[in-house]
Amino acid sequence: MMDIIRVLVTGLLRRWYDNLRNLLTGTRPPAGAAGLTVLCPIINDSDGNQSHVMALRQHLQDLPLHENSPMAAVPNTYLCRFYILNDVFYQGAPAEEEHLKSKYLVYSTNFHGDLDSYLSGMWEHAQESIRQVWRHCVAFENVRTTADFVAYMKKCQVRNHLFFNGSTGDPLNRQLKSLYLKQEFSRFVYDHQNTPPEDLQRAFQAFIARTQPGNPDSPTWVAGADTESIKT
Amino acid sequence: MSIDLQDIQGNIVKGYAQYDYPKARYVFYHIRNEVAGRAFVKGIAPLVTTGIPWNKKAKPNAADAPPPATTNIAFTYMGLKMLGVPRKSLQTFPEEFVMGMKLRKDILGDDGPSDPRHWDRIWRDTSVHLWISINGRDPASIETRYQEISHLVAESDGGIIQLSGHHGPDGSTDLPYQSASLIYKNGIPQAREHFGYRDGIGEPYFMASSGHPNRVIGGGKPTRGDPATRKGWEPLETGEFILGHRDEAFETPIAPQPPLLAFNGTFMVYRKLHENVGSFNRYLDTVGENYPGGKELLAAKFSGRWRSSGAPVTRFPTNATAETFEFQLNEAEARLYAERENPSKEAKEAYVALRTQMAAFDYNHDLEGSRCPLGAHIRRINPRGALEHGKEAFNTPGALTNRRRILRRGLPYGEVADDSRDDGDHGIIFIAINASISRQFEFVQQQWINYGNDFKLANDKDPLTGNHGVDSNQQPTGRMILQGNSTATENPFFCAGIPRFVETRGGDYFFIPSLTALHMLSNGTVDPT
Repeated sequence: MMDIIRVLVTGLLRRWYDNLRNLLTGTRPPAGAAGLTVLCPIINDSDGNQSHVMALRQHLQDLPLHENSPMAAVPNTYLCRFYILNDVFYQGAPAEEEHLKSKYLVYSTNFHGDLDSYLSGMWEHAQESIRQVWRHCVAFENVRTTADFVAYMKKCQVRNHLFFNGSTGDPLNRQLKSLYLKQEFSRFVYDHQNTPPEDLQRAFQAFIARTQPGNPDSPTWVAGADTESIKT
Repeated sequence: MSIDLQDIQGNIVKGYAQYDYPKARYVFYHIRNEVAGRAFVKGIAPLVTTGIPWNKKAKPNAADAPPPATTNIAFTYMGLKMLGVPRKSLQTFPEEFVMGMKLRKDILGDDGPSDPRHWDRIWRDTSVHLWISINGRDPASIETRYQEISHLVAESDGGIIQLSGHHGPDGSTDLPYQSASLIYKNGIPQAREHFGYRDGIGEPYFMASSGHPNRVIGGGKPTRGDPATRKGWEPLETGEFILGHRDEAFETPIAPQPPLLAFNGTFMVYRKLHENVGSFNRYLDTVGENYPGGKELLAAKFSGRWRSSGAPVTRFPTNATAETFEFQLNEAEARLYAERENPSKEAKEAYVALRTQMAAFDYNHDLEGSRCPLGAHIRRINPRGALEHGKEAFNTPGALTNRRRILRRGLPYGEVADDSRDDGDHGIIFIAINASISRQFEFVQQQWINYGNDFKLANDKDPLTGNHGVDSNQQPTGRMILQGNSTATENPFFCAGIPRFVETRGGDYFFIPSLTALHMLSNGTVDPT
């Protein structure tokens, strides 16, 4: 599946028990978090020497991953994925063979904050990349402003209740900072086993000065990183 | 459901020869390492011809303009492996494709002179990974495209090797590619093979087929309606020829994983078939002398079609009827050829009407085979519902044939220098396209060409293409019965001592990926998990 999914994970499974319970009882995003799924019809026509659906699939397959993903620049994205819904699956006779009227670009994301702010941030921070993806979708050529984009996405929104509970509802920068601190601290512990108390205190003060727990933006993890990648 | 013809390689949905591409060059490659292999495929991908319908009036560089030369690409199992397709995916490919043609010789009847030991050197001494076909209007267009591809080979710095070892005329055994071409007569390309039969008439018509809707007549699957009209036929399901679509079992065909790798792709059979023209002519001359209908009727009974016109013998049973038809057909074709840049509606319609007659038949009025023998070539490879033997035994008359159809995309190769001799290098590059090589091509080859039980003909083989053997005195043992009619005005005739007219000289099984899958192969992103 990885070939069609571009995943951007920024959370750890904290409060895993609560999350599991939510998963089993019908999920509800934690306070502050929200989910969005949009199905945008792909233009059923040629785009030069290719059909739009082929061109879009190739474009998505060629998108860079992780912190280099254009979606990593979108504020407060916990995770997101793109895929193409070709058609409904045909199971063979005696099932009826049914087809979708169109092929769809599916964009699915979990994020912090309210939908309008998220979509506005998406347009403002990844406009060019978004155009490159959505230009293959029906009527996207009419999208010119932030308000147009928000309206377009809302029109394509699918109201569902499937939220992947992978994190708290905190803003992304706080979650990344927590992950950074947790990792740095565990490294500190390993490095200072059996250190005499005075040395340990000095080292810890240096640790606090370096990691700046009160500053959520620096140093911290880079959004989208799948391995350790620190932003200072 | 509509099919994305821009995602499908053009050779699946188009027989290029019918679109004025009379010449072809087939080139084979070996991949030395994965990185070079993927880079080469990436370089070829933009050159690949898709299934998009052509518009003759489009500007030369428009997406729907017919190109000066076409390009298509396919892979053997070893080729996919060398491109780094993961094992989990490779394991989902069908057994016959994994084995390759050589190891399937017992099923295909490639014995005696057809044994892989006697094949062209390229098939014996090397490992073919990749096939590229270039079809062109003229040799120059083909050469231009060939040079473009050779440039990519040179760039691979030894990572890609173009395999030589094709046999040719004058005893050459190391030609760098296989050429093929329609046979020319008076400068006009003819749809004809070296035995003199008009070829390329019967073409399965399926839901994604292009061309005139009348092609469903005789090309589709039989209903119980009148076979002379469109009521008698329905298009075959696309899944018989293209993976990922509904097939005649009303399910999606078994296909390699992941689904995106197989979707809009298919399998191809490539076979170089030598034609023993001398033996064929001698047999027709000798036996035709004793056959009451004469030599040409004997040839027609072998095939099921008259040699010169292609008229089906079950519909045009006498020389007189066939000649009238041929006269009309020649006139219609000459007119269409003369108007080929901008054909008039009348010229096209006159041709389509005659062309339709060549396909608009079944064997319901000829169940005994008194017109078209039960063992004739075209009746074997496409029985058109005749396997019910008049009993309406199934829900549909095509029950035993609809899953055995193949698309043929080959061309003749070589020239016959002396039609009294068998040697030389001439025959047919047979190319078949189907969703399942074992269910479709191999079944037809094993059960219907090299065996006769389904037609109640014991172990008689196809007279023209069967692998007839020899007895202990090296005398040929092929047999065929030309059934008489029930009123005893015409007696049955027994053909004995038929030699092997067609011998295999090489080939293999290939996977034709979609354009999407080609992109995945070139990027190394085939992921079956």
